[in-house]
Amino acid sequence: MALETHPDRGGPGTPLLQAKTLTKHFPLGGGAVVRAVDGVDFAVMKGETLGVVGESGCGKSTTARVVMQLIPQDKGEMLFDGEIVGGKDLTLKEYRRQAQMVFQDSYASLNPRLTIEDSIAFGPTVHGVSKAAAILRARDLLQRVGLDPARFAARYPHELSGGQRQRVNIARALALGPRLVILDEAVSALDKSVEAQVLNLLADLREEFGLTYIFISHDLNVVRFISDRVMVMYLGEVVEIGPVEELYNDPRHPYTKALLSAMPSMDPDNRTMEAPLTGDPPNPINPPEGCRFHPRCPQAQTVCSKVKPALVVTASEDGTRRAACHMEIPGSGHSRAPSLEAAA
Amino acid sequence: MSTLVAQPLVAIENLTVRFRGAQTVHAVNGVSLTLEPGKVLGILGESGSGKSVTLKTLLRLLPESRTDIGGSVRVDGRDVLALNPQDLSDYRGAVTSMIFQDPALALDPVYTVGEQIAEAIIRHEKIGRKAAMARALELLELVRIPSPARRLKAYPHEMSGGMRQRAMIALALAARPKLLLADEPTTALDATVQIQILLLLRQLQRDLNMGMLFVTHDIGVAVEVSDRLAVMYAGQIVETGTVRELIRDPQHPYTKGLLAANLHGAKKGERLEAIPGAPPALTEPPNACSFAPRCKFVQERCRAALPPAVQLGEGRVVRCVLAEQALVAAA
Amino acid sequence: MTAIIESAAPIVVPPLAKSPGYWTGVWRRFKKDKVAVGAGLVVLAIILMAVFADYVAPADPTRSSMLRRLRPIGTPGYPLGADELGRDMLSRLIHGARLSLFMGVVPVFIAFVFGSVIGVAAGFFGGKFNTITMRTVDVFYAFPSVLLAIALSGALGAGITNSLLSLTIVFIPPIARIAESVTTQVRSMDYVEAARASGANALTIIRVHVLGNVLGPIFVYATSLISVSMILASGLSFLGLGTKPPTPEWGLMLNTLRTAIYVQPWVAALPGAAIFITSISFNLLSDGLRSAMDVKG
Repeated sequence: MALETHPDRGGPGTPLLQAKTLTKHFPLGGGAVVRAVDGVDFAVMKGETLGVVGESGCGKSTTARVVMQLIPQDKGEMLFDGEIVGGKDLTLKEYRRQAQMVFQDSYASLNPRLTIEDSIAFGPTVHGVSKAAAILRARDLLQRVGLDPARFAARYPHELSGGQRQRVNIARALALGPRLVILDEAVSALDKSVEAQVLNLLADLREEFGLTYIFISHDLNVVRFISDRVMVMYLGEVVEIGPVEELYNDPRHPYTKALLSAMPSMDPDNRTMEAPLTGDPPNPINPPEGCRFHPRCPQAQTVCSKVKPALVVTASEDGTRRAACHMEIPGSGHSRAPSLEAAA
Repeated sequence: MSTLVAQPLVAIENLTVRFRGAQTVHAVNGVSLTLEPGKVLGILGESGSGKSVTLKTLLRLLPESRTDIGGSVRVDGRDVLALNPQDLSDYRGAVTSMIFQDPALALDPVYTVGEQIAEAIIRHEKIGRKAAMARALELLELVRIPSPARRLKAYPHEMSGGMRQRAMIALALAARPKLLLADEPTTALDATVQIQILLLLRQLQRDLNMGMLFVTHDIGVAVEVSDRLAVMYAGQIVETGTVRELIRDPQHPYTKGLLAANLHGAKKGERLEAIPGAPPALTEPPNACSFAPRCKFVQERCRAALPPAVQLGEGRVVRCVLAEQALVAAA
Repeated sequence: MTAIIESAAPIVVPPLAKSPGYWTGVWRRFKKDKVAVGAGLVVLAIILMAVFADYVAPADPTRSSMLRRLRPIGTPGYPLGADELGRDMLSRLIHGARLSLFMGVVPVFIAFVFGSVIGVAAGFFGGKFNTITMRTVDVFYAFPSVLLAIALSGALGAGITNSLLSLTIVFIPPIARIAESVTTQVRSMDYVEAARASGANALTIIRVHVLGNVLGPIFVYATSLISVSMILASGLSFLGLGTKPPTPEWGLMLNTLRTAIYVQPWVAALPGAAIFITSISFNLLSDGLRSAMDVKG
């Protein structure tokens, strides 16, 4: 017995995943609420890689867990290939065959008491595949992620290096034949030389299995390398989203600018002379009114502390780029905003 | 050579560190390096390369009962490995002090930041409590903690990550050290905070004319703060030179691989020049080039004996047979 | 949607050489720990002695002799002396091991089963279920174990079955608490999240991913309670709430010899020494198991 492959139903024009006003708040007690994810909208097209960047507390990992439905959202919904996740056409169990996740900590994400092949085979057996078929599939996948099954299949996680374990985690995520793989800081804990190997592997697998990735990372170089589009998050909200090269070359939101210029320069003759921002990212308990970035924004004006900027189309004819900044909204009241006449 | 040879601040010669245990680990295998006063040497390497162990040796922080240390370590004229307990505690903090990745290692959660800094000052200087507190306040201003007078009375857990890092730097500077050891101090920080701390360290080091050894796995970070770089692999320095020389003209295949893996300027769709395999386990002392199993230019000689330390210029050394062959070919 | 394609031929999985498993590693580390191995041998000897008491003991443990009361250690025919009724101490100690071990092991084992079920369930499901279960457990845990055991035995009446029952009730709360805390830890591990993400239900996750990782630590903790249980059982007997004379049991022997402490102090101390040696051996054994089971990545 083997798992059936998933047909593409909505066609190439339908996004593989569409998140609509996803919201997740964690009550802390005493009335305080962590607004981890606050009305996040995005879509992932079939076959593309969406990079998600942001600093701690920006909600990128919570977003990943909500997308994976490891925690339920408070508000909002997700459409997977046009169908509501958890609705009658796409049950949660079925959705979980089509969407899988790779975690950051390669050791914590493998059961120390199971052999590698048993860990990989677990998912398929849950979905009714016989143990023998699941084990064969596990060995095949090990081969494809670059680990010789004869040497590794019967080993235990602690006998592997970090890079090898992360390959196993990728194989485990692929065991159910998913269409969407969420990579939550999946290469961040690896040494640089090993990270490059795993990134190459991820690119190969994307090709081979026609996968769609959501790639979450704090490393802007890695995100630039692997992503087609990038989403920048700040305090639970999307501040900018767009095609990777355009966004890196011409960031529109002041936070994106700051994040990019905070990257080490790699040029000994042209070192960074000034930090783009002062202070730490605030925590998402009681975030600021208006634009959440305004207390740290060098260009903040009165309107920024009063009105929350919408995520509007910017800097592109085709509407692929969006930013949530008053400087991009015609007539917003910010002195640098385009005038209404010019926009019309 | 002039007769007024400036004494280096740090002179490590042929350092070896071995941990005994169920399995012996040869963590550092013949490291030699020097650091001039007021300069910054970045030590670049991946996990297990021996970079942190080398750093800890300079403060004798390794568990002595199960560590064998060989070679010599001199800091500011002192033989660090021979210091008696009294001299060692005078040396720690006042000559050499250290900042860590995790401020929790350096800051005590049950005392206020001010008390801890004042305590460190009093331990090394014969001054009263009040004067020490005044100097602690100065130090907090120096590391640019906002509203320092209030933070003096704050406990570590009441501060944000970047602020704790600044407090730890203030604590490390309490007894005016000549040498600051930094062990991945920005690795756990967010990007926008990391650059602030890097710039702060760079400025403090220059203003106070301290020497600094900065250990990191991140080339970008090393480039931001260092004058010179030493690349470590499997407990040895494989290449050393100025930042410019290493970034513009790397010689060792491992350095080249690391630079490629940093992805700076890597384009989407290209394959990365990834170094295959993983670092060795270090259960045996090396008797050949440790990088040979992963090197695409490997030759017979690399597996037969330790690679030569090839001097390419003043303070520019590469441990690789390729460099030697290039040198011979050029001559 | 979850259609499955049947394949005609049966699937053959070529076997692979398993790498030495977790327990092989535990055994290898345990073997190196001389203290733990020694303690294990002592425990084994005591168990064998108890099982084969009828063959090992030189005399009948209940045959008394008014003429030979309180003989010192080394008396011919009485290698460890005689008690207040002139019974052979060595034989009584050997036979006493049966009940003492029984009272040490059985309540802990039953409590291990119940405590694990309660703790694992509370830890895995969390939330309100956890709060209600664990607070109830805490009510029992709040009493000092000695007092709780005495109160329960007193209420239920003297006798072996009732002391067994009361000791079991005493040990469920601490085991449940350990089980809950270990399970809470394991539950937050990414491999449990990954299992949930693969669509597995709670029972499957507990069976495959949780039990294997929590039973070991709970078991080790339970082993350390065996000595406590033996001492408590002895205490109950000492107070007249456990075993009835003339059945040999270490706690009871300690009680009845108490009056002879000035006449034959060495003989009177023997049951105490037996309790001490057995309980410390169990403790050292469980310490050794704990460090042997501690895997480092």
